[in-house]
Amino acid sequence: MLQIQQLEKTYKNAAEPSLQGLSLQFSDKSIAGLLGPNGAGKTTTISILCGLVKADAGKAFLLGMDVEKEREAIKRRIGVVPQSIALYPTLTAMENLQYIGRLYGLGSTILKERINQYLQLFGLEKSAHKAIRYYSGGMKRRANIIASLLHEPELLILDEPTAGVDVQSRNMILQFLASYNKLGHGIIYTSHLLEEAQQLCDEIAIIDHGRLVVQGKPLVLMQKQQAQSLEQVFLQLTGSSLRD
Amino acid sequence: MRKILATFINESRLFAKDLAGMALLFLMPLALTVLMALIQDAPFREYQDIRFEILWVDEDGGKMARQLGAELEAIPQFVLIRTLNDQLLTADKAQELVHKGSYKLAVIVPQGVSAEVANSANQVANELGAKLGAPGKLPQRESRKVALEIYFDPVIKQAMKLSLLNALEKQVTRIQAEIILARLENRLDEQAADSSGPGLRLQEKLQAVQLREISSGQNKTTQLTTNSVQHNVPAWALFGLFFIIIPIAGNFIREREDGSLMRIKMIPGSYFTILLGKLGFYIVLGMLQFFIMLAAGALLMPLLGLDSLQIGNAIGSLFLTVLVVAATATAYGVLIGSVFQTPNQALPFGAISIVILSAIGGIWVPVEILPAGLQQLAKLSPLHWALDAINELFLRSGSILTVWKQLIILLVFALLFFLIAGITESRRRR
Repeated sequence: MLQIQQLEKTYKNAAEPSLQGLSLQFSDKSIAGLLGPNGAGKTTTISILCGLVKADAGKAFLLGMDVEKEREAIKRRIGVVPQSIALYPTLTAMENLQYIGRLYGLGSTILKERINQYLQLFGLEKSAHKAIRYYSGGMKRRANIIASLLHEPELLILDEPTAGVDVQSRNMILQFLASYNKLGHGIIYTSHLLEEAQQLCDEIAIIDHGRLVVQGKPLVLMQKQQAQSLEQVFLQLTGSSLRD
Repeated sequence: MRKILATFINESRLFAKDLAGMALLFLMPLALTVLMALIQDAPFREYQDIRFEILWVDEDGGKMARQLGAELEAIPQFVLIRTLNDQLLTADKAQELVHKGSYKLAVIVPQGVSAEVANSANQVANELGAKLGAPGKLPQRESRKVALEIYFDPVIKQAMKLSLLNALEKQVTRIQAEIILARLENRLDEQAADSSGPGLRLQEKLQAVQLREISSGQNKTTQLTTNSVQHNVPAWALFGLFFIIIPIAGNFIREREDGSLMRIKMIPGSYFTILLGKLGFYIVLGMLQFFIMLAAGALLMPLLGLDSLQIGNAIGSLFLTVLVVAATATAYGVLIGSVFQTPNQALPFGAISIVILSAIGGIWVPVEILPAGLQQLAKLSPLHWALDAINELFLRSGSILTVWKQLIILLVFALLFFLIAGITESRRRR
């Protein structure tokens, strides 16, 4: 599903590199967690995978395709849920989804079906005609995910999909991701919430300072580190000093 | 094509949701255009149909003074004031009133002016008559120096002052010539007193060439001179059109900040098609705004006592010209939205740059009256070329055949703006 080899990236005018030879891989059709403290390089990695940022060195492959050379083919097969609510706040959920669906080239009938299906699935059918700016944080997150699902991607990449949402919304999102994965779709997601990752992910990679710290199945890593939780593993490996 | 259309519809929806923004985008340029046309109406009329009050003090009382007064009064722009509060004006009073700024101009005709003109005419008639062998001699004496005294309000514009002096000098010269010719004609008529034929009619013969003003345009039926509406409506409508960069730049930055751009860029296919949809919407919006301003110029201005805007006969050329201007303005908006990171950087720069480009581009005052250096600088402003093209169509009965050069230059500006924006976006990815 994902292979990264010696990825390096230093932003212009940055004091430190964001990625310093990051290498990792995730198996096909798994739910994979890319974890790390603030500034570890998670969002940079996702931006490179999506072709939004160019790596200085190294290679990255998604679904067996080179992210630099086969960007268009990759775009058709993946869905990306950005960390921010990438929707037009003054438009309704329906209007946002109609626009995004049309950009994906979906026909009117199928688009209408999918919008209704996902709005119902995410509990937003009654708010479909309400402007996004009037949504709660949890509703915005759910609408943000729907916008990346309309073309039913093989692989869904989510950057902090549950950040700032209430317990009910988080539970719903996690349940959806598990069920989507069961349908044969791969999922890569980043999160600060290690309990959530422990519960959801088949495999994880912890990165820090732009390098891979450890990779494996959550339970195996916990056993290896003799830890009670993934959070303990995380703190043991990345230290307890504060990150900005 | 579906992506372009979807984006066009989406941009329309976004715009329609912001009713206040929509109103401001149309109403503010409209208010500005109307206000500027009203404010500048007086200065434009100053050279056209404003009536000028001249304090007229005739201390001479002779034929020359009476005739000069009558000739000046016959000019529609001049009103001669001879009395104030039922009292004849004196030279001192006239001077005082001009000095205080109550009147712009006073003309004092001192005693002896008519006599001096008559004496001078007699001298000329005698000399010519003698050379032609005419008998007798008109009374004459040594010439004395006399001059009309003219007082100007110090605040009067130099151009206006010269124009008034020219008008006065022309009248004085004409009257002097008429008197001389009349005397000469009399002398020669006396010599041929036995002839039963018609008189010499020298004055008629000296008016062989007259001035007649006709339109320089190909369409001779259009008699159009510039006026406040004709200058201000297209000029400020173009200014308003370029202000479309504010919503464009704001939208581009907002999309980049809130992640919408990231989502859009993750959609298969070229981002250029989506960009075309966005640009198409703003170009249509800019054109709509411009034509609303023109409609206001044609229909609203007369209701406010101003002239009606004349838009010429080349409607197709006008449409194409406005399309190119709107595309250039949109391209500038994309440039501002790409180069600057935040709305706080982009919006003040965008707004102030439009004010600067409009100032050097001839929107505020015609480029022709700017200093030579600024006239060269004007060529760097797309607003200059836009206004030049519009004036060509409106005032000089132009068509696409006469504005193609301006349109090419505007398109070069647009391509340059897109190129810089593209390079900036591409660098951002690195």
